[in-house]
Amino acid sequence: MSQIEIRDVAIEYKKPKSEESFVAIQGVSLSIEKGSFVTIVGSSGCGKSTLLLALAGLIECSRGSIRVEGKDVTGPGKDRAMVFQDASLLPWRSVHGNVRFALELQRWKRDDIDERAARFVRMVGLGNFADYHPHQLSGGMRQRVNIARALAVDPQVLLMDEPFGALDAQTREVMGDELLRIWERDKKTAVFVTHSIDEAIFLGDRVVVMGRNPGHIRDVVEIDLPRPRTAAMLDSPSFIEYRRKLRDYISADMQALHMVEDIA
Amino acid sequence: MTRIFKKHQALISGIISFAVLLLIWQFAVDFGYIKAFFVSSPSRVAVEFWRQLQSGEVRDNMAVSLYEFAVGLSLAVTVGGMLGVMAGWSRTIEYVLEPFIWFKYSSPTIAFYPLFIAWLGLGEPTIIAIAFIFALTPIYANTLSGIKNVDQDLVRAAISFGARPHDLFLKVTLPGSVPILIAGLRLAVGRALTGVIAAELFGATAGLGYSIAFYGQKLKTNEMMVSLVLVVILGVIFTQLLSLLESATDAWRPNVDR
Ligand SMILES: Nc1ncnc2c1ncn2[C@@H]1O[C@H](COP(=O)(O)OP(=O)(O)O)[C@@H](O)[C@H]1O
Ligand SMILES: [Mg+2]
Repeated sequence: MSQIEIRDVAIEYKKPKSEESFVAIQGVSLSIEKGSFVTIVGSSGCGKSTLLLALAGLIECSRGSIRVEGKDVTGPGKDRAMVFQDASLLPWRSVHGNVRFALELQRWKRDDIDERAARFVRMVGLGNFADYHPHQLSGGMRQRVNIARALAVDPQVLLMDEPFGALDAQTREVMGDELLRIWERDKKTAVFVTHSIDEAIFLGDRVVVMGRNPGHIRDVVEIDLPRPRTAAMLDSPSFIEYRRKLRDYISADMQALHMVEDIA
Repeated sequence: MTRIFKKHQALISGIISFAVLLLIWQFAVDFGYIKAFFVSSPSRVAVEFWRQLQSGEVRDNMAVSLYEFAVGLSLAVTVGGMLGVMAGWSRTIEYVLEPFIWFKYSSPTIAFYPLFIAWLGLGEPTIIAIAFIFALTPIYANTLSGIKNVDQDLVRAAISFGARPHDLFLKVTLPGSVPILIAGLRLAVGRALTGVIAAELFGATAGLGYSIAFYGQKLKTNEMMVSLVLVVILGVIFTQLLSLLESATDAWRPNVDR
């Protein structure tokens, strides 16, 4: 059995001020092996965040089940940690204090907390910025803090929802490299949502392609590129082939959307 | 020199304009444009201040007023803070309290003064009650709004790491509300002081407001001016202290212009 088992999951949101509900994702099934890096890609609104929030235990499945290590996900747990896109750092706490925050919430021993927070701050390369506050940092640095915070609690599974979505292209590449470097150390299972096709291929062992109306999984593409991944691979024939394939999926999805809009 | 001026521009300009006002006040009286009887004059106030300081009047009046102020404000902070937290926690409580808040906002509280006298008698308890009532609304309103406007992204992140309700309150909601709580406190301090002085004007046996009323009725302008000036100085000091506290606790807010 895989570490994460998602079985026939559907998630509905209540529409405000009405009895109706909106189906965000439907019939989603996916198995994720321990230690693998899975990326989820798809145009916006296809339910990527919804699926990830359900994995995190922050929203409930309307149907189906999600299991991690054989146990049903019923809420947040110490086995999973989430890296949010942006603005999820406490603005009144320093870099160190923000990493501490997660450790405090999970009741780590007082004596260990400071040491451990400092270690993870150093690990993401922010040793010299431990006393800075979020508003004094660049977007890339803030996301390093978010990653340090999630890793510090020593989760089995790392969930990331477009963590580099708000960064410029260059920073994004650097952060991707950095993330892989950190991930290679102890290969925690990673589920990484992005809308960048290149990022999905570059990072993932497998790319899950989602489509919409309602959100579903269109395909899962195995990425057969050796690790460690390098920037040179971005121009390799197989990378270009993966890119073409995924782009076809997603543009088909976009066209379907335009047709719907034309009719409507 | 110009650098020092730039850095403290607001303070220096303020002091200069204030000094100019004092000078004009002094000269206007000295050269007979205005009668000292109406406005006294800085030098007369200074002399009279010295006398009241020696006689212990200043100390006694200050002690009484500050005591009433401190008790009234503390009560307001405790009660207003608790009600604000409860209302932020439960919609029902918020709606139950809402009519009273509207009532308080839209009616001049001081009109209830005679009622308080009927209940609590003339003097200290009534004065404290008025200060309390005056200071209550901003504490309540700001506590409530601080709690209600907590950043939901932060709450969600905290929950994802396993935060329990009291963690959320102590580590997210409360620290996130500090700036607005301090702003509420600043308003409350001004209102509590107003409440004390206003109530003392009408019925007291000691205090700065009492002294103003006492000398005012006897048309002793110089004597009255001493307490009036003290009230103004107290107000300025309190507000400035709170502003300092406000900017010290505000430092993490990215949009603060420093
Ligand atoms: N809290 C919510 N309430 C109602 N609808 C929502 C909510 N969150 C997301 N949705 C809807 O669900 C769909 C999927 O959203 P989301 O999972 O955020 O997509 P993605 O992350 O792929 O952009 C969208 O159509 C969005 O409008
Ligand atoms: Mg999303």
